[in-house]
Amino acid sequence: METENHRQSVCRPIRLLHRIEDGLLVLILLSMIFLAFGQIVLRNVFDTGFIWIDPLLRVMVLWIGLVGALVATRENKQISVDVLTRLLSPRQKAISQIITRLFAASVSGLIAWHAFWFVIDEWGMGDKAFANIPAWLLEAVIPLGFGVIALRYLCEVVSGIYWLIRGHES
Amino acid sequence: MIFAVILILLALLGAPLFSIIGSSALWGFHNADIDLQVVAIEIYRLADMPVLLAIPLFTFAGYVLGESQAPGRLVRMTNALLGWMPGGLAIVSLIACALFTAFTGASGVTIVALGALLYPALKHAGYADRFNLGLITTSGSLGLLFAPSLPLILYGVVAQQVSLDTPVSIDDLFLAGILPGMLMLALLSAWSIWNKPPQHTQVKVDRKEMLAAIKDAAWEIPLPILILGGIYGGYVVVSEAAAVTAVYVLIVEVFIKREIPLRELPRIIRESMTLVGAIIIILGVSLASTNYLVDAEVPSQLFETIRTHIDNKWTFLILLNLFLLVLGMMLDIFSALVIIIPIILPIAAGYGIHPVHLGLIFLANMQLGYFTPPVGMNLFIASHRFNKPVMELYMASLPFFFILLFAVLVITYWPSLSLFLIT
Repeated sequence: METENHRQSVCRPIRLLHRIEDGLLVLILLSMIFLAFGQIVLRNVFDTGFIWIDPLLRVMVLWIGLVGALVATRENKQISVDVLTRLLSPRQKAISQIITRLFAASVSGLIAWHAFWFVIDEWGMGDKAFANIPAWLLEAVIPLGFGVIALRYLCEVVSGIYWLIRGHES
Repeated sequence: MIFAVILILLALLGAPLFSIIGSSALWGFHNADIDLQVVAIEIYRLADMPVLLAIPLFTFAGYVLGESQAPGRLVRMTNALLGWMPGGLAIVSLIACALFTAFTGASGVTIVALGALLYPALKHAGYADRFNLGLITTSGSLGLLFAPSLPLILYGVVAQQVSLDTPVSIDDLFLAGILPGMLMLALLSAWSIWNKPPQHTQVKVDRKEMLAAIKDAAWEIPLPILILGGIYGGYVVVSEAAAVTAVYVLIVEVFIKREIPLRELPRIIRESMTLVGAIIIILGVSLASTNYLVDAEVPSQLFETIRTHIDNKWTFLILLNLFLLVLGMMLDIFSALVIIIPIILPIAAGYGIHPVHLGLIFLANMQLGYFTPPVGMNLFIASHRFNKPVMELYMASLPFFFILLFAVLVITYWPSLSLFLIT
């Protein structure tokens, strides 16, 4: 678990960002519960409802999913196979982490890059999603989310290399 | 081909699975000369599926229940109602775990939350230690087939991405899981009665305790009825049932029972949404890879190849069982679902297997994978929780493995068991 400690000491947690992420999760989830339940009550008791609630709820799933994924990356809780890594020595583990995190960072970065241009295109077209909200604004979470995930993994790569050089000597 | 080998190697080294699936989608579209923006467009389709709303809401409700005293009340009530039977306490454990897992989605929470209550109780009642360990480890994934378990919902979502002649509805999946799930419970109960302690003291039926226990759990008892009754009665769709459940659980455990202080809610939300995020990101990138697979007609080509070697449904099912067992040992249920189902669902349909039946075969096999030596996840969770060597847990869960393997075979080769309630 030495790698864990080092990961934290090198990549100093940007506390404000973490707070914002946690706050977003709470805010989105509670609004989802409130809106979804409210819509059921409106529909069944008052026989009415707001048409913007359903598409908003669906977008919120995307948002909470990607923000949740950011936090999962931060807490090392992304789903992965750990059959082999269980058997590795700390040094081998650090090396395999550098390789796999570098890979994850590149894939996330590529997705973020193409998603960014997708959002720019959408911005140019000026489509509205619902209730006059521009579509690009709702889609922007994809490049943002994958971008931060990429940076986070890159950060782990750097601290992994640092640990290999420094930690190995001492 | 080389690319696939590299990906498998990276996955085995512990690369996050979303990056593996995502890269295969990027690679596929790149080779087909399609603008890679398509990956972002596919991920945005997550915002286009009303049923997905059920995933964060049910997961949150399950986490809140797990943090409250509800598991204790559940055990008390089932014990008061069924504890008098021979092997009663073991059967109580099985039912309580199955119900709890259905709500929390076999993520090891059951072993940690309920195991801590049941393990000492079983020991006290005189059951053999090895039996207890096996029972608890097995129960960690029992209940996967019962509504509203997350894997059931996710199977429905993924199956709907693959266009088929027979549509798959999540309501149907919820119904179809009932009998196969009951079969597993019945077989394990029989094994529990067989293994009851020799000096079994007859526990008297205590009507007073029965009433008290029911009263104690009065707030939680309506939950399954609320969900299943609401969906099958046609009053609400799955995502609405999830919203009602989340509100109900929140009000009961936080404001009425006051077992979860308000200041703990942000932590519970963060923990549950971390799991949701890990699942949603995998689902998102797999929408892209599935789209590529379907575009490139990979499943139909695969089917043609397989059909030249395997000419009947039953041989196919045997091979499928073997394949899924091995897969379940390696991959967690969610990743296995989004990677494998888009490929095998069209193939299975080609052999005339009903998609709902395939779903139950798949999930039942995966359930087994949770405690199949040497790498089943629940073996390690139980080993950690009860401070026993993993080797001991291998031995302890072996008889349970064979019992459930039998159940899996029955589910596979007797389609009506799954399809009876929906046709």
